[in-house]
Amino acid sequence: MTNHWIDLKNSDCILIMGSNAAENHPISFKWVTKAQEKGAKVIHVDPRFTRTSAKSDIYAPLRSGSDIAFLGGLINYILSNDLAFKEYVLNATNASFIVGSDFDFKDGMFSGFDEATHKYDKSKWKFALDEKGVPQRDMTLQNPRCVYQLLKKHYSRYSVKNAVDMTGTPEDKLLEVYKTYAATNKPDRAGTVMYAMGWTQHTVGVQNIRSMSIVQMLLGNMGVAGGGVNALRGESNVQGSTDQALLFHIIPGYMPTPTTAQPAIADYLKLVAPVSNDPKSMNWKKHYPKYAVSLIKSFYKNAEPAVGYDWMPKLDAGQNASWLVLFDEMLKGKFKGFFAWGMNPAVSGANSNKTREGLTKLDWLVNVNIFDNETGSFWQGPGMDPKKIKTEVFMLPCSVSVEKEGSITNSGRWMQWRQQGPKPLGDSRPDGEIMFELAQKVRELYKKEGGVFPEPVLGLNWEDMGGEHGFDVHKTAKLINGYYLKDVEVKQPDGSMKVFKAGTQVAAFPALRDDGSTCSGNWIYCGSYVDSDPAKGNRSAKRSKEQTPAQAAVGLFPNWSWSWPVNRRVIYNRASVDATGKPYAPQKPILAWNGKGWDIDVVDGGGNPGTVHPFIMQQHGMAALYGPGLNDGPFPEYYEPLDCPVSEHPYSKVLHNPTALTFKGEKRAVCDPRFPFVCTTYRVTEHWQTGLMTRYQPWLLEAEPQMFCEMSEELAQLRGIKNGEKVWLENERGKLWAIAIVTKRFKPFIVQGNIVHEVGIPWHFGWRFPKDGGDSANLLSPSVGDPNTGIPETKAFMVNVSKAKKA
Amino acid sequence: MKLSRRGFLKLSAAAALSTAFGGIGFALKPAALDRIAMLKPDWSKQTTTACCYCAVGCGLIVNTALSGAKRAINIEGDPDHPINEGALCAKGASIYQLAEGTPGQPNPRLQKVMYRKPYGTKWEAKSWDWALERIAKNIKRDRDATFVTKNAKGQTVNRCDGLASVGSAAMDNEECWAYQAFLRSLGLVYIEHQARI
Amino acid sequence: MSGKSFFVDLTKCTACRGCQVACKQWKKLPGEKTRNTGSHQNPPDLSDVTLRVVRFSEKEIGGKMHWFFLPDQCRHCLDAPCKSGATLPDSIIVDPDTGAVIYNEKTAKESAEAIRSSCPYNIPRVNKKTKVISKCDMCNDRVKAGKLPACVQSCPTGTMNFGDRDAMLALAKKALAEAKAKYPDAQLVDEESVRVIFLTQDKPGLYAKNLMADAGPTGPRLYTRQEALASLARPFRAFLG
Repeated sequence: MTNHWIDLKNSDCILIMGSNAAENHPISFKWVTKAQEKGAKVIHVDPRFTRTSAKSDIYAPLRSGSDIAFLGGLINYILSNDLAFKEYVLNATNASFIVGSDFDFKDGMFSGFDEATHKYDKSKWKFALDEKGVPQRDMTLQNPRCVYQLLKKHYSRYSVKNAVDMTGTPEDKLLEVYKTYAATNKPDRAGTVMYAMGWTQHTVGVQNIRSMSIVQMLLGNMGVAGGGVNALRGESNVQGSTDQALLFHIIPGYMPTPTTAQPAIADYLKLVAPVSNDPKSMNWKKHYPKYAVSLIKSFYKNAEPAVGYDWMPKLDAGQNASWLVLFDEMLKGKFKGFFAWGMNPAVSGANSNKTREGLTKLDWLVNVNIFDNETGSFWQGPGMDPKKIKTEVFMLPCSVSVEKEGSITNSGRWMQWRQQGPKPLGDSRPDGEIMFELAQKVRELYKKEGGVFPEPVLGLNWEDMGGEHGFDVHKTAKLINGYYLKDVEVKQPDGSMKVFKAGTQVAAFPALRDDGSTCSGNWIYCGSYVDSDPAKGNRSAKRSKEQTPAQAAVGLFPNWSWSWPVNRRVIYNRASVDATGKPYAPQKPILAWNGKGWDIDVVDGGGNPGTVHPFIMQQHGMAALYGPGLNDGPFPEYYEPLDCPVSEHPYSKVLHNPTALTFKGEKRAVCDPRFPFVCTTYRVTEHWQTGLMTRYQPWLLEAEPQMFCEMSEELAQLRGIKNGEKVWLENERGKLWAIAIVTKRFKPFIVQGNIVHEVGIPWHFGWRFPKDGGDSANLLSPSVGDPNTGIPETKAFMVNVSKAKKA
Repeated sequence: MKLSRRGFLKLSAAAALSTAFGGIGFALKPAALDRIAMLKPDWSKQTTTACCYCAVGCGLIVNTALSGAKRAINIEGDPDHPINEGALCAKGASIYQLAEGTPGQPNPRLQKVMYRKPYGTKWEAKSWDWALERIAKNIKRDRDATFVTKNAKGQTVNRCDGLASVGSAAMDNEECWAYQAFLRSLGLVYIEHQARI
Repeated sequence: MSGKSFFVDLTKCTACRGCQVACKQWKKLPGEKTRNTGSHQNPPDLSDVTLRVVRFSEKEIGGKMHWFFLPDQCRHCLDAPCKSGATLPDSIIVDPDTGAVIYNEKTAKESAEAIRSSCPYNIPRVNKKTKVISKCDMCNDRVKAGKLPACVQSCPTGTMNFGDRDAMLALAKKALAEAKAKYPDAQLVDEESVRVIFLTQDKPGLYAKNLMADAGPTGPRLYTRQEALASLARPFRAFLG
C-alpha cells in the first residue's frame, strides 16, 4: 500500500476492484465504513456479488480477466472529457515527456518485438533526451510525441462499447462507475483503490495495476490522504518477506539480484544507480551503492565488499527462476533437495498435479509447518503410490505466531513487534531457531570436511543473528537496521564533527556508507532499531498514540509501531502539496510547509517546496504514465487470459499477451466447447490461503466446511444442477468435486452478444484434512504467468461443470 | 473476587475440558466471574501480538496461564490498537484454537519431528538432532555435487543449482532475513515464496 | 437503573463472522460438524453450542441484488417471555444491574421445550442428550468486569454496539435517522421491548423469519405475538420491582 489502513477513512471514493475486501481483509471495512459514513462512495467491481458488494453504493459485475477493457475505458473517459487534474499531471507525472522516435504501437503490438524470443527490446521505448540527458518536455502537452498525447491516442480505442462488449458490465453501471470515480479529480478530493490477487493473478497482472495507476495519476490521487494505489496484501508478513527478498529476482531492499552481466561489484553498483541530470530530480536510487555495500557487509562483515559480492550467487543474465519455472524445473529433475518452509505448494501452486508430480522427482524434501499438510504428505496423496516415490521427507514442526517474538510488516508498511505468549508447544520450535541450528550444523560439516566453495557458508555473519543460545531475534533486527563497523566521523549540519563509534546502530539510511564502514541488512528498515537497548531502540514495538491534532485528523499514528521508509506513513506525500507547499486538500492535509519545515507526515525527499520533483524513487522524479521499464509495453494493452471464452476482441488482432510466461505442454482452452465456462478462484473470510491454518480449527471449519462452486441460477438450470448438490469441475489439467451454491449473486455475462457463464471456487481445501472437505482449486488453474512477475493466471481459466452422478 | 490457586487450577482444567456445561448456557455466577479472574496478572501473563492471517495487522492480546501447562487461555482483539480497536474477523478471533486446539481433544498441530524414508509408507517420529544432522548432510552432499562456479559461457556464477526453496510470508522479518541470507550463502537462486503467487 | 442494551446496526454488518467465533472463543464452545448445503450460513442455525449465528439472506428486489446479514442472538427482552415457560421463580434470572436474562443450573429442571417455545424470536436451544437449554448470556461476566461482550468487541464496522440502555436507544434513533436517507424503509425492531435493538435497512422479514417477534403461533408455542408483545410492554421498572 502506498497509504495505510486507517487512511481509507480519508477517501471520498473507494474503488474495490480485484479484491473482496469485506471478506478477505474484513477489518479494512472498519475504515471503509468510516469513509462511507462521511459520504464517500464505495464501488465494487467483481464477477460475483459478494459481502463487499452488499455494502457498496455501486456494484458493477465484470467478467474475470477483462479488467483492462474496464480501466482503459475509464482512462479514455477521463481524457476525452478533459477531466484530468492538469496541474498535478504536469508537475507530478511524465505526461509532458517526449517519447523517442523508436516507440511505436500497431495493432496490439509495441515496437521492438522479437518473434523468436517473444520479448521486447525495451531500448525502443526510451524518452527523447535533451543535450544534458534530461527528458525533453512539452509543457503545453500538445506535442503528438508527448506522453499525454500518446496516452490519449492509445486509449482512444477503449470505447464504452468495447468495454461493455468484453467485460459484460451493463453500460449504465459502467458509466456510473466512471462518472463517480472521475469526480475525484478535484484537487481537494481523493479516490483510492483497494486491489488484491483479483488483479495480479493474470497474464496481464502488472498491467491491470498500471491501468489503475494511470487513472490515479490523471486524477491527482497519488500521494494524498485517502488516495494511492493500495495492494491489500494477503499474508501477515508478505510485505516483510518481500522486503527481505525471499524472491529470486531481488536482494533485500528491492535491489536486483546480481547476474552474470555484473561480474564485479563495480558493475553492480553502476547498474543499481541510475543517473539524472535534472537538478530537481532527487533520483533517490543514486544512493543504492551505499545500501548495496552495506547489505554485502551485513552478509559478510569480515570480507571486503568486492569479495563479499563475489560470494553472492549470480543468475545468468535474463534467467527467470520464478515459481512456475522452479516447479517446471523440478518436474524435469533439476533439484535434488527442496525446502517448503512455511508453505504448502501442493495446494497453493497453480496446476497442482504438475506441482505434486514435481515433488516425486526430488531426492529429499524439508517441509516446515504447523500442521501436516498436502506438501509434506504428497507421497500418500491421491494417485500416488508411496512404494514408487523415492523422496525422503522431513516434516519439522514450527511454532505459531503467538509463541514467538519478532516483527512483521503489514500491508500499510507498519512494522509491528510481537511478544511471546506461551512457549512453543511440544517439540515445535520457532522457524528462526530451526534455520539457525540447521545452518550451524552445515557449517560444522564444512569446517570439518571442507567442500566446494566453502567461503560464503563459513563467512556468513551468523554471529549477528544469534549466539550460544541459538537464534537471537533482537540481534537480527539490529543487523537488519545496520550499525557502524568502524568509528566514523561525520560532519553535522552545524559544521561540527561527530564520531559514531563502531557498534553504534545507524540512525537512518542517509547515514549508510559505501566504503564498508556500515552494515545494514535492509536499507528500507534502517531507522527501525536505532539503539542497542530494545526499550529505546526498537521502534516497531512502540505503542504510543501521541500525535498532533493534524496527525490525529488523518489518523497517522506516527508513534505507534514504525513504518518504512523513515516512518513515512503515506509515500509520495510530496504530491499532496503545490509548488508553495500548500496542501491541495486543506481539510485533510498530510503534509504542509510551515515556512521553515514540513509538518504532519515525514516528507518524501526533503528540501523546500517546489525544489524537488515529487516521485523521488523515479529516475526523473515523475510518476510514470508511460512506463518504459515493463516487459509487455509502456502502456497497458487489452489481451484475453490464455484460457478464454472468445476468439477475438475489438482492440487488436492479438488475442493474448504476446510476452506471457508459458511452458511447453501447457494446454490452452480458447473457445473450446469442452470447457465452456470461465472459472475464477477466491477466498472466504473463514479460511486462509491453502486452508492449512484454518481447516484444523472447528470454529472456522464449521462455517465453511467443504469445497463449493458458486454458479448462477441460469447455469445451474442449463446443467440440471440443484443448490447443494455435488458437481464436478474439470479441464485439461484436473478434476475436482464441489458442492454447488446456486445463487442470484452470479449472473451470466453478455460478451460480444453471447452468453458467457462464470463459476467461482475457493482454494482453501486439500485432500489431507478434513477428509470430506475436497481438494485444491489449483488442480484446475494453469501454469502460465505474467511476463513481469511470473505470477500464475489463477483468476481466469476455463472449465466444464457437470452434476455428479452419485451424491 | 480473589481466587485460590487451587481454584484457578481447577478452572484451567475446566477450560481445557469440554464438559457437559462447558460454560454453555449455564452462566453460573462464580464460573462466569472466574473467567475474568483468569485474565488478571495473578493468574496469567498478558502479551500483545499481531494477527498471523491477512496483512491488515490487527493487534491482539494473549493471556497465558502462569501455572499448569502454561498455555494460552484467551486471545482477543487489542482495544488499544489503532487499526482494529479490538475488532477481529472470524480468523483472527480463532487464533486461540490455532495455537491450543479444542479443549479436551488432542491438539492437531505437529508436535514431533516426522520422517518418511525413501519409498516409505509411513511417518516415523524422530529427534531434532537426528533430523537436522541428516538434513545438513544432505545439503552439503548435494550442494557440493551441484555447485556451479562458472556457467556454460564461462561466466562466474558461484551458485548451487541443485537446491531450491519456497517460503515464507508466515515468518517474522528477522527469520525471513536470516533465511534468505542462509540460502544465498549456500548459493541458491531458486528462492521463492507466497509473494510470487 | 435501566441496565444495558445492544444496538445492532445491520446496515453496517459485513457478515465477517468475527462475532460468531469471538463468542465461541470467550466461552470455549466447541465447533460443530457441518456440511455445505448450498449456503454460506453455517452452522445452519443456532444450537446449544452456537449461541449466535450470522444469518445470510439473498433477495433480489426490483432487479437489485441484496444480501442481508443478521447476527442472531438472544434479545434479552425487558420482560422476558421465556420466563413464562418456567415454573420456578429463579430458574431464569435477570441481572438487576445489566438486565441480562440468564439461564442457570435451575433452568435444567424446567421443561426446555416450554421455555424454547415461549421465545418470540426462536432463540433458546436444547442439547438433545442432556436436555440442557442454552442461549446468549450477554457475556454478563465481561460486562460486570467493565469489558464489552465478546461479540461487540470483535465487531469491526460499528454494527455491534453496547452500553447503557439510554445511550443505546439514543444511538439507535440517531442511526435510524441517518439510515433513512439511504434506506427509506429502515426501521428499528421492537426497540421498546428488547435489549438487543436491531436497525434494519429494509423490512425485517427479509433478513430472517424471526428477526421481529414472532407474528403468531407457528408451533407448540405458549405465546402469540400479541401476547408476547403485551407481556413485553409491561414497564421494566415494575418488573424489576
